[in-house]
Amino acid sequence: MAQDAIVADKLAYWFGDLVAVDHISFSVAKGEILGFLGPNGAGKTTTVKMLTGQLKPKDGKAILLGMDVPENIEHVQSEIGVCFEDTNLYQRMSAVENLNLFARLFNVKSFDAYALLKRVGLAEREKDRVENYSKGMKQRLMVARSLVSQPQILFLDEPTTGLDPTSSEAIRNIILEERKRGATIFLTTHDMMEADKLSDRVAFMNQGKIVALDKPLNLKQKYGKRALKARVSGKSGTLESREIVLDTPQTPGDLQNLFEKENVVTIHSEEATLEDIFIKITGRGLTE
Amino acid sequence: MNLKRISILLGKEFIHSPKNFMFIWAIVAPLAFTLVATLAFGTLFSEKPNLGIVNEGNSQLVVMAQELDSVTAKTYEDVSSLKQATESGAVDMGIVLPQNFDNAVLQGEIVVIEAYIWGESLAKNRIILPTIISDLVRELAGQEVPVEIESVTLGDEVSTPWSERLIPFLVFMGVFFGGLMLPSTSLIEEKQRKTFEALVITPASISDIFIAKGILGIVLSVFMGVVILLLNQAFGANSLLLVGVLFLGAIMAVELGLIFGALIKDITTLFTIWKAGGIILFGPVFIYMFPQIPEWIGRLFPTYYALQPIVELSLRGGGWSDIAVSVFILIGIDILLVFVIAIAARGLMQRS
Repeated sequence: MAQDAIVADKLAYWFGDLVAVDHISFSVAKGEILGFLGPNGAGKTTTVKMLTGQLKPKDGKAILLGMDVPENIEHVQSEIGVCFEDTNLYQRMSAVENLNLFARLFNVKSFDAYALLKRVGLAEREKDRVENYSKGMKQRLMVARSLVSQPQILFLDEPTTGLDPTSSEAIRNIILEERKRGATIFLTTHDMMEADKLSDRVAFMNQGKIVALDKPLNLKQKYGKRALKARVSGKSGTLESREIVLDTPQTPGDLQNLFEKENVVTIHSEEATLEDIFIKITGRGLTE
Repeated sequence: MNLKRISILLGKEFIHSPKNFMFIWAIVAPLAFTLVATLAFGTLFSEKPNLGIVNEGNSQLVVMAQELDSVTAKTYEDVSSLKQATESGAVDMGIVLPQNFDNAVLQGEIVVIEAYIWGESLAKNRIILPTIISDLVRELAGQEVPVEIESVTLGDEVSTPWSERLIPFLVFMGVFFGGLMLPSTSLIEEKQRKTFEALVITPASISDIFIAKGILGIVLSVFMGVVILLLNQAFGANSLLLVGVLFLGAIMAVELGLIFGALIKDITTLFTIWKAGGIILFGPVFIYMFPQIPEWIGRLFPTYYALQPIVELSLRGGGWSDIAVSVFILIGIDILLVFVIAIAARGLMQRS
């Protein structure tokens, strides 16, 4: 059996009396994309900090590529790439200088900054100071920086937040390309659609605990309500909505009635979103 | 700790720090103060030291002294006129060469020279003149001769010239301002812009980052100390020892800077603390500015142990025995601060 890329074993961290991460356990297989979801203050960032060696767990173990993180910090950090939510580039340096600095710190031999910048669509602005970049360009450079060492594990924290659709799409494509390369991706996000689209599995974190962890489809099947939404033409000619819940004993009869007795204008299936499921499980929204 | 990564980070610091306003300020401010002080007190273009001589016999040393370019030698008829000239500041140092002085020298006897020193003469002159006299005596004897100079200070001893009283302040500013402010502002800036977070998830450790910033601070600090001492013509006779002390003082300044950088959140707070707490750092400077203040008060400040050896070597012509205790205490403080940095760095990692 292939070794998991990331293993959290009863991982815990607290700040005084506040338990930020409460003995969570999960694993991420090599080449898998895990969407890590939760509202602000749920403990996502603290978890990522323990996994990336920025914080030493107060309890439990963080294991990356078979190595205990605090005990092999330098080795672990040479195998990971991290893209932070907040822009933390050297603003007075150019894109090339930023990438070259980190490539040297990662001891990357024959690093081609231009090729990487081309990949994220910044090749033409390679020598411009970063302070003159737009938010989307900076974010793409952040992603590029996390890739300088061709990491085996990539931690991406809200990589598309606040970006225009083109930049977001470019970053999503890079994530998928990285998975294709064999990288394991730990994607922290608020964006349910993004998590749904990209992740092989998603983990919901709330108040320091993982409350659900599965494939998006399985979660939807387990917690969601599948339904058909129809728009019918009423007696006075106005459009009215009808909903037929699927997977119940009444469903066939309801469907028959709909088509026999109503004048159906449009009909489509509807499944629960990850946001609906999160609210159902935790009683709170992701943006709270 | 990894030397390669430290050198990479140091390269970044060297390339980008000169664009930092603090780097410019750390160089400009002490130099500007030095220039103002030296121009105001006339030491920048000061004349050669004046040596007064009473020649009771017929010593050749007088002629030899008058032939020198580095000193202005004047002769006086008797000891009372020499004393008068010394007391009034007409000469920086007056010496009396007794009868048969040259014979005694040639026979290799121990030479004792009575010397009068003007209380307000510049320290560099007080250091230079005895050295010149000793060299002349050896030249006259054609061999190594033990020379003892028994000095008596004339005039107001307390009234050390302001140009000299300011030197400890100027040197201290050069060493401590750059050494402390450059690493602290650089570290705070990295925290505020969150680039620190980006660095610590690379294989570079927090100690690599701190050492790189520290080295830049030490280089700037020692460089500024040396430049200011040279500009003030106060480098003294023990230049290597002085540079060594400057180096130890620079380490202390940099360590304090790194501690401040690790603990303080923003540049504004740093400046507030600098303004309010600067007195603790600069306390010993006032001891040298105002000699009426008892020197033991200075010993209460940790920075005294960096400043005292510098003053002793550069202004008072002292040697190792005069500074040994302070230097050992300074080394102790430097080592202690390493542990404080380690604690501050751990806290920084948890907060970042």
